[in-house]
Amino acid sequence: MNVWRKLLFLLRRKAFDRDLAEEMRIHVEFRADRLRQSGMDESEADLTARRAFGNTMRLGESSRKAWTWQWLEEAGQDLRYGFRVLFKNPGSTILSILTLALGIGANTATFTAYKAMVARPLDARDPTRMVNIGLTRGSGVTDPLFSYPDYQSYRESIHSFNGVVLNGFPEHLTLSGVGEVISQRTALNNSLLGKLGLVTSGSGSANVEFTSGLIVSENYFSVLGVTPLRGRTFESMTAVDLTANPAVLISENFWQKRFANDPSVVGKTVRLNGAPFTVIGVMPRDFVGTFIAVPDFWIPISLEPFIHPDHNWLRDRENQCCRMYARLADGVSINQAQAEMSGLTGYVGGLHDSHSDLSKPASPLLWTGSPFPLPLNQYGGLITTILLIMVAVGMVLVVACANVASIQLARSTARQNELRIRMSLGASRARIVRQLLTESGLLGLIAGIVALLSAWAFLRIVVTMAANILPTDFGTLIFYVTPDLGIFTYVLAVSLLASILFGLVPAFESSRSALPSSLKGNGGAPIGRSRRLQDLLVATQVAISLTLLIAGGILIRSSMHALNTETGYDDKRVIDLDLQFPEGLNYKRERKLTIVRDLRTRLAALPGVTDITSASPPNGQGLKVVKFSLNGERPSLQDKQFIFYNYVQSNYFDTLGIPLLSGRGFRPESGQNDHSVIISDSAARELWPGQNPIGQTLRLGTDEQYPTYEVIGVARDTLGVTTNGADVKKVYVQLPLDGVTSQPILIRTETDPVQLMKAVQGIVASVDPDLASPTSTLQELLSQTPAFTTSVIAAMVASTIGLLGLLLASMGIYGTVNYLVALRTREVGIRLAIGAQKRDIIGLILRESTRPVFLGLVAGMFLSVGAFFLLRGVLSGLNAFDALISFIGVSLLFLVIALLASYLPSRRATRVDPMVALRCE
Amino acid sequence: MSKRDEIPYGTLDMLILKTVALGEEMHGFEIADWIQNQSEDVLRVEEGSLYPALQRLMVNGWLTAKWGRTRENRRARYYKLTAAGKRQLQNELEQYNRVTAAIGRILQPA
Repeated sequence: MNVWRKLLFLLRRKAFDRDLAEEMRIHVEFRADRLRQSGMDESEADLTARRAFGNTMRLGESSRKAWTWQWLEEAGQDLRYGFRVLFKNPGSTILSILTLALGIGANTATFTAYKAMVARPLDARDPTRMVNIGLTRGSGVTDPLFSYPDYQSYRESIHSFNGVVLNGFPEHLTLSGVGEVISQRTALNNSLLGKLGLVTSGSGSANVEFTSGLIVSENYFSVLGVTPLRGRTFESMTAVDLTANPAVLISENFWQKRFANDPSVVGKTVRLNGAPFTVIGVMPRDFVGTFIAVPDFWIPISLEPFIHPDHNWLRDRENQCCRMYARLADGVSINQAQAEMSGLTGYVGGLHDSHSDLSKPASPLLWTGSPFPLPLNQYGGLITTILLIMVAVGMVLVVACANVASIQLARSTARQNELRIRMSLGASRARIVRQLLTESGLLGLIAGIVALLSAWAFLRIVVTMAANILPTDFGTLIFYVTPDLGIFTYVLAVSLLASILFGLVPAFESSRSALPSSLKGNGGAPIGRSRRLQDLLVATQVAISLTLLIAGGILIRSSMHALNTETGYDDKRVIDLDLQFPEGLNYKRERKLTIVRDLRTRLAALPGVTDITSASPPNGQGLKVVKFSLNGERPSLQDKQFIFYNYVQSNYFDTLGIPLLSGRGFRPESGQNDHSVIISDSAARELWPGQNPIGQTLRLGTDEQYPTYEVIGVARDTLGVTTNGADVKKVYVQLPLDGVTSQPILIRTETDPVQLMKAVQGIVASVDPDLASPTSTLQELLSQTPAFTTSVIAAMVASTIGLLGLLLASMGIYGTVNYLVALRTREVGIRLAIGAQKRDIIGLILRESTRPVFLGLVAGMFLSVGAFFLLRGVLSGLNAFDALISFIGVSLLFLVIALLASYLPSRRATRVDPMVALRCE
Repeated sequence: MSKRDEIPYGTLDMLILKTVALGEEMHGFEIADWIQNQSEDVLRVEEGSLYPALQRLMVNGWLTAKWGRTRENRRARYYKLTAAGKRQLQNELEQYNRVTAAIGRILQPA
């Protein structure tokens, strides 16, 4: 095989060259000998022999050719030359690589993130054999929830499944009996959301901390196919065993974070919600199973009554507590399993209460295992959002390719002379095209490597942040983000194609213009066409980046507003103490009441405390709504009229600094027997427009037996929490005297609230160390409202992509102008020669290059108005001024950057030496 | 010097193979010299094509080369025909004969 001989040759290259040289030298000697024999004198014989032999160098070259693959040799040359060219123009090379890398990297990262967060499988062995189970009822909506009795009915009867598992929802539990409590405040402050103030961690008192637990069926781990790192799982115990010796599993993540990998934790007893459990095993690190976050503990479902002794939902068939997953039996398809299950749903439905919706006919729906409760195609909003993001990053790629095209065009125009020389020296057009292609391919490849590395690094950082995004007691979020190689290859191929395509245009352009007939010209017409294309691309990228940035700007202003708006109450000097009693311990109502009263007395004695009341804060969770009717009308069931209400004590308005606009306040200590309410200003204007609300009556609830209440006062509006602000219309009902146990305690202080919160913790611990007592100022609570959270996250995403767009757009403008300048060197030369000033030249180029920018800005403005309307839902308290600031501010920013990007290269045009430019003629 | 003709394209390889086959082992100068002598100075092998041709034949595995000594005890690189080279020579000769016979028939007056 000559392939082998050729390969062998590659290894013995040096020896070959030596042999050949020797052989040729000997040949010449033979010839000289022969000549001498025929009577020629010494030196002349030598010379003649050598002359006859010819160019040994070329001969060596052509001899070697027999042994090598010529295309390989030439490709090597092309590569070497390509590298040299790239290094010779470091500016445009780095620009091209960065641009392409941004495009490739952003797309790879986005698709990888999509796969890690949305299209992720279950964390299980052979996850493609796992299925989610849901029921589709009459309305066509898939219901992914099942009750425990339903699960038991399905579990044993379906042969298509090789195991069915059930899990509840992650919940917050109190953890005690584990010795010294670590400061969760510190942990909180180290977590991202904690720093942003988006969550407040449950800060335990002396003996209690918060932890997260997930209730799972006992076979959860074996069906998912995961074995414990240490110890054993629930299936090693019988049901009786489990009840007699309650067991839990701990996650490696929490084991490490909380117990510093202490091996003695296995076998130790911890108290969850006050009930004792023995830790029987540690599950492997980052095991999320059917969720996306690692819980701290897994609790077997049969032990659920231990942590929630008050309700008994295990036996309640109507209680849809859980999600159900199954592993398909070998050789069974999803459709077969679904068909088998259809035969059973009617029967299980019949076991339900006949009045319940759950007894109605339903058909099962199975889909490939995913932590999302519904099939992905049922999340309209999510799909739209993903689509928008994909379009945005796709645009980034298009823009990046366009930029590289500009840079390539500019570069090849500048290289026309070089190419012309190479052609006159005998290079074929194919050879030149190949050379240019090698260069653009090389560029794309380097960019691809840079992109892969940076996408990987970026995702690592995000994931590390995500792992710490939640305080310990919420579990650990896990995302697997090895960059998706499939996507990477695809995106790399797209960008390679783009860079090669645009590398080709100038290749043909220059090889054609290299023909002697066009040696003089610069070949203008086809380039004019690509100029228009470039203008269009620049305009598009400006428009899109502008829209994204304006949207980001509006969202940022909106979230600033959410924090600084006039709330209508004193949010800075009121502390919310959300007292929680341990569920498992024996706390009777009387005991709770005593504790709260005792606590309130002691708190009131703290220096600086001016008022204490028991009520939900206006921005807290747990909004309550009720149907109502006015002035003795009969309540109607159809009526969709709801109003928000809140239980308050008589000093609520003083404590929060909410003034009464008219009427009077509640009488202290009268409890609910008064049958009087206070309503907010907005509620008054809505319910009794143009009338005096004082003395009017309304009935709360749908039953005619419920009492009617008389309006005795109108309070100033307080800021709502719901995104549409509907809860500004509010009714205040007086809290029953014994209702204080179920309400947070609000404390108004004259002194520093942070200092006071510490003092409050101390007092709670001294009253009862088993109480959990998260505290926060009302302002901190404000930053946890959905409106604020949504706009913060949306602002981050939109601004990031927008900034990326701005960066690319400015690179694009720079590239285009650079190209323009290269094209017009001759023209500029002529202009300068006939007396144009540098100012005129710069003006000329700026005018031309900013035209597409202006076009893009105008288009972007229109798009932004559209975006503004789409975003209305998540915006809070924005006015025309904010919109104007964002619009004008961002547009100006863009314009300045665009001008700068075109000014820098246009200055180069003025340095054209008229003589050099004209000599081209 | 007498008038020389170019060696027809494609026949150089055959001539070299044939020459080496006759002489068992020959070095480059001998090969060129032999062809020139045998053709009575009509065919002359240019060094510029001899050495690339020798490489080509080695890549295809028809010739092998090793260093040896001439009768005058000078170093030279000797080429030898391989078994594959013999077969190749046979093929080329047959093909050549077919083609020249065909060309002859066309050119011969009927």
